[in-house]
Amino acid sequence: MLSRVADSVFWMARYMERTDKMLRALRTSYIASQDEMQDFDWQLWVDGLSAKSTDSIEVNNYREALNHLILSTHNDASVLANIVRARENARSVQDYITKEVWQGINEYYHLIRDPKTQDLLLKNDPVTAFDQLLRESVLFYGTVDITMNRGEGYIFISIGKYIERIIRSLDILELQMLEIEKGRNEAMHWKYLLYSLSGYEFHTKHYKNALQMDEVIGQVFLDVQFPHSILYSLLQVERYFKRLENISLPEYFREMEFLLGRALSNLRYNSRRHNDVVEVKGWILETRSEVKAISQKLATLYFGYS
Amino acid sequence: MRPKVWDEMYEAGDIRSHYQVFFDSLSQSTSDEFTLKDELAKKLFMNQGITFTVYSDGEGIEKIFPFDIIPRIITAVEWEHIESGIKQRIRALNIFLRDIYHDQFIIKDGIIPASLMHSCPGFLREMVGVDVPFDIYTHISGIDLIRDGDGSFFVLEDNLRTPSGVSYMLENRNMTYRIFPGLLPRNNVRSVKDYPDLLLKNLLGLANRQKSEPTVVMLTPGIYNSAYFEHTTLARLMGIDLVEGRDLVVDNAKVYMKTTAGLKQVDVIYRRVDDEYLDPLIFNRESILGVSGIYYAYRMGNVAIVNAPGNGVADDKAVYPYVPNMIKYYLNEEPILKTVPTYSMDNPDHFSEVFSKIESMVIKKTNESGGYGMLMGHAVTEKEVAAYKLDVEKNPRHFIAQPIINLSSVPCFLTGKVQPRHVDLRPFALYGPQGIEIVPGGLTRVALREGSLVVNSSQGGGSKDTWVLGS
Repeated sequence: MLSRVADSVFWMARYMERTDKMLRALRTSYIASQDEMQDFDWQLWVDGLSAKSTDSIEVNNYREALNHLILSTHNDASVLANIVRARENARSVQDYITKEVWQGINEYYHLIRDPKTQDLLLKNDPVTAFDQLLRESVLFYGTVDITMNRGEGYIFISIGKYIERIIRSLDILELQMLEIEKGRNEAMHWKYLLYSLSGYEFHTKHYKNALQMDEVIGQVFLDVQFPHSILYSLLQVERYFKRLENISLPEYFREMEFLLGRALSNLRYNSRRHNDVVEVKGWILETRSEVKAISQKLATLYFGYS
Repeated sequence: MRPKVWDEMYEAGDIRSHYQVFFDSLSQSTSDEFTLKDELAKKLFMNQGITFTVYSDGEGIEKIFPFDIIPRIITAVEWEHIESGIKQRIRALNIFLRDIYHDQFIIKDGIIPASLMHSCPGFLREMVGVDVPFDIYTHISGIDLIRDGDGSFFVLEDNLRTPSGVSYMLENRNMTYRIFPGLLPRNNVRSVKDYPDLLLKNLLGLANRQKSEPTVVMLTPGIYNSAYFEHTTLARLMGIDLVEGRDLVVDNAKVYMKTTAGLKQVDVIYRRVDDEYLDPLIFNRESILGVSGIYYAYRMGNVAIVNAPGNGVADDKAVYPYVPNMIKYYLNEEPILKTVPTYSMDNPDHFSEVFSKIESMVIKKTNESGGYGMLMGHAVTEKEVAAYKLDVEKNPRHFIAQPIINLSSVPCFLTGKVQPRHVDLRPFALYGPQGIEIVPGGLTRVALREGSLVVNSSQGGGSKDTWVLGS
């Protein structure tokens, strides 16, 4: 596969996963703001989800926040900006993704730009808009799974998806911990965290002391049954990466294998206390840094970046 | 008195026999049903990304490539005439290109003036003496045909460099079976879906290396090119890599593409990048679309390029009037397809004659495409004529004139009504080691503005599905 194409499908997958994660988190936040909390802190989310400080603005209510985070063409980190990037990446590799995948992304793009979607988000029922957008996201994953052959294109899409999943899960965890630090109801924010990661039902079934910090952190970081956990995602990155062995230059493969192995070891074999805020924060920073390094090394070795 | 226009569907108030089946099904549908079909077509085009892209504020603005749902139908007999005429023309043009870049007998025998050749912007000195695989220069050609008031087919233009539109031919057919289920088999319409397979077969046949699976790629200028949709469609249908200039590198006179597993040698390049931008070391040094050194690899015979560089000398509008002479000279045959009478503006007699009857003439730039730079004499003011005349006087070699021919018309479904609009036809000819093949049909381009004779998409034109009936 062309290096440029591998780069494009990798980033197409990353932007799609980023979009999915953001929409889920914002859907949960919106419902939270309507459900229990009269003074929901939208500013925290706007600041937290902006890629750069210049992307952030001052917001006073949910409409301004959702407009900025989802629809704004001036916010480089908005959902719309991510879908546009995903689409542009998909457009440039149409010969490597299936026609169905391309059409799916194209329809997603038209849906988010549809004035009806914008009306729902800003004037009527945002949850309906969230559900419609998330349905396209799920459709994208299904279409990739069903229509794409299991060659390099699929491998790089999968690696991109799981790398992004790790980074976004950590971001959302960090934001909820900031909320808790402001003295709010801790159990409620763990609940919202798990809803954002589609993990609440799993938690109530598998953890007896539901919504305790150490168990939530344990699930988010280490539970391999939970598809949004950091360990599960990193194992998937390793699993898909290993399929590149036959087409990789041996030295490149070994270098990546080493980085992945080390990240997995650091994740599994550490003595951090899951109920210690300081240690967990350190863990978030270290894990995020390691995963970004893996992504950058992949770009250097496989995508031709210098 | 209005010049006669050949109506493709009607003759003296009656439906032509080859349109009867379609007309009968059309009569069974209401206007509302037709409107729904039209809307379905637009939605399908948009969802599948069959659009032009206009970039603004870093975000692509999609414009649907206009498609009219009513097909244009050609009989088997008419097609046989077109096919034999195009094959004859392509053979002659290829021999011409071989001759002009080698012995130049056609100049020495006084058939074509040397000054015309050497003043052609498309004539590449770099191609002189270069032997191309199988002596084939025009692997892919788009020959634009029109019909005059008597229904005779004329060649309007040859497109021998990077002709486009074939993807719309394929997609239009896909639209038709969605909009008119069952009508294609009922009308015994010949298929167009073999085009990518025929093209790939020809491309593979051009590879030099003794290899069971040569590497064929398509070179695209990238996503900002208006024909990018076509590039991706063809690459996908043929199963070949779509590359940009930055994906290729030349080492030791061989072309390689940069892959995740290292460099991989390329054998054949179907390029959709113009000659000028192909190699910055040889042509335009500011080009970032091409590949440095690719021309050297080509001359060394290590990579085949389709279409060959330098074809512009054969599809220059100033050379067009000489094609019938080429057919007679090289093939010793009479031309099967007619050509439009053409006046060279660097001929003083022609110049005077044209401007004395400008209202019935069209003047075109010899090396322009997309319908740009033309003067349609019947639709301009005296002031515009005067201004254009000054441009022609400055550089008469770069202009030719032809009488305005009223293109034939076909019914179109526009704004809820069936209305006639002018059309042309672009069949696509493939020339490979085994000969010339032409997929039955082509792209019918339609001038959507009422009364307009300009069918180019960049000037508001659209397209129709083209049905060639089986015998």
